[in-house]
Parts: sequence; C-alpha cells; structure tokens
Amino acid sequence: MILIFGGAYQGKLNYAKANFNVDTIWDCSAGAVPNFEADCICGIEGYVMECAKSGEDPRKCFEENRDLWQDSVLVVTDTSQGVVPIDRTVREFREMNGRLLLWLAGEADRVIRVFCGIGKDMK
Amino acid sequence: MNTFISGGCKNGKSYYAQNKAAEIARETGRPLYYIATMIPRDREDLARIARHISEREGWGFETVEQPVRIRELLSREDLDLGGAFLLDSVTAILENEMFPRQLKGSAGEEITCDMTAPERVRTELTAFAKAVDAAGGSVVFVSDGIYGDMGEYSDSTEEYRKALAETDLALGAICHRVVEISYGTEEIWK
Repeated sequence: MILIFGGAYQGKLNYAKANFNVDTIWDCSAGAVPNFEADCICGIEGYVMECAKSGEDPRKCFEENRDLWQDSVLVVTDTSQGVVPIDRTVREFREMNGRLLLWLAGEADRVIRVFCGIGKDMK
Repeated sequence: MNTFISGGCKNGKSYYAQNKAAEIARETGRPLYYIATMIPRDREDLARIARHISEREGWGFETVEQPVRIRELLSREDLDLGGAFLLDSVTAILENEMFPRQLKGSAGEEITCDMTAPERVRTELTAFAKAVDAAGGSVVFVSDGIYGDMGEYSDSTEEYRKALAETDLALGAICHRVVEISYGTEEIWK
C-alpha cells in the first residue's frame, strides 16, 4: 500500500494520478465508506469525520478489509496542526484522523508527503 | 532562477528569503529589489512595517511598493528585470486583491470577497516570474503554509486558503526551486 498525505489543497490526488497506476478512484471526502475495489481511495478524512459523528472507529473498517487494500493508493489530508478545536466532534475527528494516519503509515510500503504539488518519500 | 519559499509562520522564511535574494544579487552584480506588499491597516501594521524596514537596512534592497497588480512592475522602466526580486509575500498580495474593502473598512464592517482575484493574482504572479526569468533575473517568492490544520473557517476564508494553495502550486510548478522552511532549517522539495 502507498500512503499519500499532506495539507489541504496540496495536489495529493493529482500526484497519485500522475505517479501511480490509478484507473479507479473512490472519493470519501463527502463521508462515504471506503470502497476497497478502487485502485485509489482519497479523501479518507471525510469518512473519518463521519466516524467521529457516529462514534465508530475508522480503523475497524480498514482492519476488517486489510487484504483488499494491500495494493492500493490511500490519500488522506493531514489535519494535525493548529489549535485544538473547540467543537467536541471536530476534536475527536482530528484525533481519529491522526491515529488512523499513524497506523496506516506503519502498514504502508511507501509513505509520501505532498507539499506544493511535489511528493517526497518519507518511508 | 526563481525560488518559491513556504512554511509555517514565524519560522524564518523572510530572513532566509532575504539572504537568498541578496546572495543572487551579489553573484550577478545586478540590482536587489524588495517588493513591499503590505497595506497598513492600523498602528500594529505600521510598527511591523517599520520593523521590517529596519531589518532590511544595510542589505542593499531598493524597496518597490506593489501591494496589488504585480504585472504593473513589468512596464516600469526604472526596474531592471534582470535583477533579484524578493516578493514577500504572496499571501499579502492575494489578501489585498481578494478582500479589497477590508483594507479601508472599520472593525465590524462586512468583508467582501473578490472571487475574480485568485485567477488574476495567479496569472500575474506567474507572468512576472516568467518575464523576470526570461530577462535573466530572479524572483524569490515567500508564501505561507496554512494547510495543515482543521480548516474550520468561514466560507470566504476557506476560499482564500484554497486560492493561496492554487497560487502556491502554480508558482511551485514554474520555480526552479521549492523550499519549505521549518524554524530556520530548509527542506528542499525541488
């Protein structure tokens, strides 16, 4: 699995399309559950936000389908900086997103950070 | 050779950029320009500008006031486009053009957002970079990395954040060098 992360609007998905064989893309940014049939699953933070609202652990979905995303490209927005959010759900989301990214980075064969449209291997 | 610099606030980007621009001017023997982009709104801004001016003293910068419409610099006959330009910052220019009324408005006044500004600013900055590069000069752009937090902002601020990122990516694509500054240390991305 290849994990791509970076700040908002940094060109993460375009980087994935330009550098990897990504024919099918599943976008979770509006809150959809990941569809692991796709080559690339992006906007995973959107699914994490839905989990924060419902109290579910987003990692569960990835653990249960572990075999399905071993060859996938996963794209997540890094939301770890800035002040701790006042809103409880948003605060929980930020922690969940951080924990999920940490775990996915551990699972990944390659971790790439995208900054200003440019990717750099972190792992 | 054009350089794009970004990173968090108060990380030493401006100081790094000043050094970079001054070094280029020294090596080429061409003029060194500082493009001043801030429009002061209050005494705090005036104090900040005074601090920036004193910090640049002795560096040999010629200050060029251009807080909006960067393309206008290309028709100025008193400027040598083969020189080294420090543009600090992309953030301020986009803000000046996207929120023009905010500059004159008093506290509490409704802020209007000019949604034609992002594309115009992006086009003008890239045109300026290309023209200076073609003339054998250099531009050092300074922007701000404001993309790693939760992004819980008003719609107009979120539009601004998105527009700044698009400007950053456009400049990053045409600059020869892209650098992220973290507390005075450099991460070369390109």
